[in-house]
Amino acid sequence: MNAADEQPFFLWRHLNRLRWLTLSLVFALLVLLPFLHLYQTYVAAHAYDFLAPGERLIYDAMEWLTGPFTSDPARDLDAIKGTTWSGNFFGLALSDPLALAGHIAASLSLHWAFVLSALIPVVATIIFGRFFCGWICPATFIYELNETFAAWLRRAGVPLGDRRLSKRLKYVVLGAGLVLCAVSGSVIFAAIYPPALVGREIYYAIAQGGFGVGAVFFLLTLLFDLLVARRGFCRYLCPGGALYSLLGRYRLFRIRRIVHNCNDCVKCNVVCEFGLDPMRDGFGQECNNCSACIAVCPVDALTFKVGVRDDPAQGPGHQGSAYRRRRQREDESDTGAAA
Amino acid sequence: MKRREAVSRLVLGSVAGAAAALPFGIARVLAPPLEAAPHTRIPLPGALPDPDQFARACIGCGLCGEVCPPRCVLFYQREGGSLANTPYINPEQKGCILCGLCMEVCPTDALTLMPIEDVDMGIAQIDRVACYPWVDRGVCGACVVVCPLGERAIGFDFANIYRPVVFEGCVGCGQCVEVCPEPSLPIAIVRRTEGTVAGHGV
Repeated sequence: MNAADEQPFFLWRHLNRLRWLTLSLVFALLVLLPFLHLYQTYVAAHAYDFLAPGERLIYDAMEWLTGPFTSDPARDLDAIKGTTWSGNFFGLALSDPLALAGHIAASLSLHWAFVLSALIPVVATIIFGRFFCGWICPATFIYELNETFAAWLRRAGVPLGDRRLSKRLKYVVLGAGLVLCAVSGSVIFAAIYPPALVGREIYYAIAQGGFGVGAVFFLLTLLFDLLVARRGFCRYLCPGGALYSLLGRYRLFRIRRIVHNCNDCVKCNVVCEFGLDPMRDGFGQECNNCSACIAVCPVDALTFKVGVRDDPAQGPGHQGSAYRRRRQREDESDTGAAA
Repeated sequence: MKRREAVSRLVLGSVAGAAAALPFGIARVLAPPLEAAPHTRIPLPGALPDPDQFARACIGCGLCGEVCPPRCVLFYQREGGSLANTPYINPEQKGCILCGLCMEVCPTDALTLMPIEDVDMGIAQIDRVACYPWVDRGVCGACVVVCPLGERAIGFDFANIYRPVVFEGCVGCGQCVEVCPEPSLPIAIVRRTEGTVAGHGV
């Protein structure tokens, strides 16, 4: 096969939709689980006759939802519990690697059951890079909606911030957080890490009667994204993103530009919420494989590849005017030399 | 000039460090440390005995709350300070039923699975100048009836079968506090190390 004929696998360009589906599903699950827990507590109390009308509505709705799958909701619904910070999924305990890092730093010891629960996410991150940020994180779901909201505001003429800070700042946040965990003797990441906040605050709001302090912090991060830097918290401050970026530095699955197809239209750079540079092969460890650039590319010039390094810069795309002009000049000088 | 470069690097590094610590600082300001009434903030079953040790081990995932059938597990909010998002039980609202699900589900060593006889959440303490039978204001025994551990934890005084007496076997689940009908709640869960409240003994 000629290199110039290379086309990306046709499904890659639809991955972005699949990503939105998984993001929505994770978020919907985080909303559903507290209601299921309320239902379980009502069942355990045998209290249907004493429920308030609102609670009775929850009971009936959840009974309708889970009725076909379980006859013992008080026990069977324990199969899926928790948030993305730490949870149980059909007997499999899964934890965020940042929770593990914070736990190790705070307690200065290893609890092997907990280390094992973070093993699958760590291995998946080594293979797929920062995929958690793009595909699972419940905060990303809200941040991307917030970004869409920001786009509307910009269109309406509201001036919003788009500062560029140093991407390295988030690694300093991770380091400072680990030190603060050890000094303060508590897993302080739990108070500032957006996915942990979102999962927990949804639970607090539904099952514990109101939002906690984390909701205030999360609103501040949304304002930061709007007023200071686009997707600023994920890009510059998130300690989890920093940890995933480090783990995913030599990830196996990465996005690659097919230089023969590329026409240098810059749509990929504009759509990249992490401010990367796909048009000049600049992905690096920050890329979260969200595939938005693949979905937006009009000439199928972006695809996935397997390999531990990005391609070195390949120069201007071969369909672009800069490349064609240069080729033309070279041809002319060749023919001139021949004459 | 080398020294100037080193100094500027040092300054830049400390500025970056300060900027990086800012989110943690904001989170801390949102949850300043305050003292809570100890009798309404008792630890979960199986919790590490030292509160500092517990704060180091707990990652604040909330799983213990999500599996609790009576929903007795609450979480420190603003008032918790560095304990924010870690769980506690307020027996005045809801006592623990000692089902052990939270100990099973905890991903870290914050809650350790143990037989319920070995659980130590505290010990019930009866204020004998307020409890109805102890001041001869009526017949009660609700705490004795509700106790999940039975006669190894609480029983009646030998001299008057309606006066409740707590024994050493009590693990401090707090169901007696939840059920107590006296408005001033003459029964409370205290830490074993605290000794006795107002010298009434257990």
